[in-house]
Order: sequence, then structure tokens, then C-alpha cells
Amino acid sequence: MNLVELLDQSGLTGRGGAAFSTATKVRAAHEHRAALVVNACDGEIGAVKDAYVVEHHLAALVRGATLVGGRRVRYAAHRGSATEARLRAAGLDVLSAPARYVSSEETSLISLAQGGLARPMTKRQPFVMGGADSEGRRIRPTVVLNAETLWRVAQVVEHGPHWFRAQGLPKEPGPRLVGVGGAVSRPGVIATSAGIPLRDIVAAAEGDLDRSGPVIVGGLGGVLLSRAEAAAAPWSTEGLRPFGGRPGPGVVHVLDPDACPVVELARWFDHAAGESAGQCGPCMFGLPAIAADWRELAAGASPAPARQRLLRRTASVTGRGACRFPDGVAGLATSALRVLSDHLADHASGHCAAGQTSRSSHDRVLAH
Amino acid sequence: MNELLWFVSRATGTASIVLLTAVLVLGALTAGRRSRALSQTVVVGLHRSLALGTSAFLLAHIGTAVLETYVSIDWISAFVPFTAGYRPLWVGLGTLAFDIVLAVVATSLLRHRLSRRAWKAVHLMAFALWPLALVHGYAMGTSNEPLLRLVPVACAVVGGLALTWRALARHADQERRQAILTQEWS
Repeated sequence: MNLVELLDQSGLTGRGGAAFSTATKVRAAHEHRAALVVNACDGEIGAVKDAYVVEHHLAALVRGATLVGGRRVRYAAHRGSATEARLRAAGLDVLSAPARYVSSEETSLISLAQGGLARPMTKRQPFVMGGADSEGRRIRPTVVLNAETLWRVAQVVEHGPHWFRAQGLPKEPGPRLVGVGGAVSRPGVIATSAGIPLRDIVAAAEGDLDRSGPVIVGGLGGVLLSRAEAAAAPWSTEGLRPFGGRPGPGVVHVLDPDACPVVELARWFDHAAGESAGQCGPCMFGLPAIAADWRELAAGASPAPARQRLLRRTASVTGRGACRFPDGVAGLATSALRVLSDHLADHASGHCAAGQTSRSSHDRVLAH
Repeated sequence: MNELLWFVSRATGTASIVLLTAVLVLGALTAGRRSRALSQTVVVGLHRSLALGTSAFLLAHIGTAVLETYVSIDWISAFVPFTAGYRPLWVGLGTLAFDIVLAVVATSLLRHRLSRRAWKAVHLMAFALWPLALVHGYAMGTSNEPLLRLVPVACAVVGGLALTWRALARHADQERRQAILTQEWS
């Protein structure tokens, strides 16, 4: 049985976030003799599993990458990261990417690998077929696969598709890694699979969803779940769909029950606003506008008009950026508005119920 | 008949300069989004239509200049610069401008088949085309017809103002893009 058939039977999907069929991608890569870029950037906020794969399963990762890309394989990691150092120490061809959010995106890495800037490109057709950037520069066929995905490729080849399908759900088979961080005692990588209760995944990192703040699933491109929702939800596409979320890049961030979640979210949105590559208007203007709206809400603006404006802005950036970064942030903002609506009303009435956090300390954090 | 052709040639030449300047001003207005009052679609549409209209006057100008036999300009010198028997340098500048017009029109008609970079490289040559046409018009205008020299001068002033504004004007897109580009991206 050849590699594509094996992958097809296993039902492996991309572990970088988009969950696209790996068999389809590898078939296209072989058809177009595409070069492979292994994405080990851990680009999403709180993502740590690419680093884990490189640290603990490098030999298998290289086997998987070689099966897909032959000798034309490069390993992308954030500049200055431990992952980059490990890849270099192993003598691999490292693509050193700027340590920024959108630079770890698929098309940014392709652009960087071919001498361009690490900024997303418009996809007229999948770059696995080759094509051109918006300036007309030729782009050679290139496929980008996540580090965990390629490790799973090696595992499927070694243990077979049946071993793989024995874990997870029929629709989302196979083992998966999740990075759990925030208010947990042992933050790090948890080996799990789709369908496991989110509560158990957090418990594996010695966190407790009975006594926690809300939970961000999927990082900047994810959603905020209330503590109660998170405690009841299974970690799967079906389980997270009611909240507008999905397993995505495998990141779970538990917020501190004693800190104000509104202030924490404000920090996330400010960070997002500074990560734009400055190419699409909805991103370079929309994200700072969303961050400013949120800051205003957090500072105690009258909730109804600020909320209306924020909803209008999240709707108007959705679906309009080349790399979907604005979609992701808008999704997080919309879910945060929903989950934190009571809390935002407290802010408007001048007191924040979260722990000992007072208004004055909020103002200090938000001014920063 | 010959005299009629001569007059038509000068009239269409002068009209071409005025229209070309209008096209240039409209082109300068399309850079970035500046004005909410002036619809970008209208400006770009007018820029295109007027540019094609200008070519009609230009063809009439060149056709009549070649056909009339008062001075010696032949079909070759309509396309190859500096080959006219009559004032080769000044006629040649006009020929050069016409060659650029051909390139700009051809690439714009084929724009959907070209890369943005290739189209833009050719389109930027319009910045050379316009002064060439003005100098050609000014030098060919005779002193006993002050209007023929006044028109290029007036066009130079108007077009110069538009280009100055284009170069100096700032807008949010450009400033934010430039600020972001100074960050680490490679």
C-alpha cells in the first residue's frame, strides 16, 4: 500500500489548525513534486506541541517529512527558539522565521522559503500547485505540514491505519497533542484524542475546571468558553461547534479565577492588533479598532453602544483578510462578548467582581 | 486640402495634450484612498475612458501630420523617434511619447493576462510620456500662435500641481503599511 492510501485509510488530518485531509495534501504534493516546509513554529498563542514533537520525536518527524518531501524538506521554527536550536543541532535545513503570529502561517512560510518576506500571500490556487504572489513573483510548488502531522504520518506508516483509527472519534481519528496553559499547575503538552472531555485534558495538566476562570480554546483564532461550558464540553469538532470553536491548533488556555478576564482579553486583543502584516485593511485597521473597543468596554464604557460597535466591527472584518487572521480574532471577540456580557455590565456599573482586582489596577494594566 | 490637414493636425495635437493632462490628474487621484466624496470607481472609470478617447485624438494628430505634405514626416517617423525630415528632435519627442502610449494602452488592455508587476512597470512610464508630450507641443507651437504654447504651459502647471499633491499627500493606509514594514519580516 502506498503512502497516500495509508493516510487516506487512517483519516489523518492536519494538526496545525485547519484539519484538512493529509492524504489529499500529500497526493497533491507528490503530483506537483512540491517541496515540503515542516511548520514547527508553534505560531498560535500558547502552542507548545511543535516544540514537544521536535524535542521528543525528532527522528520520527524526520522520517515522516522525508516520506512526504523527499530531499526537499525545510524545517521552519521561530527565530531564537529552543526548537530552532534543536533542529540546527540535528543538522537539518532550518527556515528561520520571525517570531510573529502571521509569519508562521502557511503562505508566509512559503513566501519566506522563496526569498520573500514572511507575510501571508493571497491564495489564488493552493501553493502546492505553484503559482504567483500578488506582485507576480513566481512561487514554486510547496506544501506546508505541521510538525505533529508529520510525526503522525510516520506513526501511521509504522503502526498502520487500524492502530491510528482505534483512537479518537470515527470522524476525527487518531492521537492528538494539546498544549494546556494558564491557570494550571503543570502547563505543557497533553497526549489525548478527539472526544475526550475538556475537563479531563485540563485535569491532566493539573488544572481544575470546577474552580477556574473562563477558558480560551484555540488561541487568538479560537473562542472563549465560560467555566461551566468548558467543564461540560468534549474536546472535538462536534463538541465545540455550539460555541463557534473547534480543536484547531490544539491550544487550551485556562484563565485565572482571581483575575479579571476582561483585562486578560484586552491584552490578547492588543497583542493581535500589533501582529498584523499590514497588507489587508480589515486586519491593519480592523484589529486595532476591535482592541480599542474592547479596552473601552473594559474601562467601563456604557455596554450597549460599545457592544453594538464591536459586533459591527467583528462582522465587517470577517472573511476579508487574505490569511483569515481577522476572522480568528473576530471569532474570539464575539465569543468573549457573549461569555463575559454580565461581567462587562459590572464594569459599566463601576465595580469588577473578579477577585481582589480593583478598578484602579485595571486602569493601570489597560493603560499599558 | 493640405492646409486643412495641417490645421487639423495642430488642433488634435493640442487637444491631445489637454486630454492627456486630464488623464494624468485622474491617475494621480487614484493613488490610495483619499477622498470619500469622490468615488474611486468614477475616477478610475473616467481615467480609462478618457485615456482611450485621447488615443483617438492622438491617432488623428499623427495621421494628419503624416498625410499632409507641407512638412516632411512619414509613416516610419510616426513610430521610430528622431527620423523625421522636419525638426527631427521635437517631432521625435512626440514619437517617443506615442510609442509609450502604445505600450501603456496595450498592457492595460491585456492587464488581466499580465502580472501586476509587469503592468505597473509599463504604466509608470506614463510619467515620462506626459512631459515628453508637453515639450513636444511647446516646441512645435510657433510664436505667432500664442495659444499653441500657452496650452502646454497651462497643462504643465495643472499636472505639476496634481503630481506634487500625489507625492506629498499622506494617508492612513500608507503610513500604517510603512510603519509595519519597518518591523522584522524576514
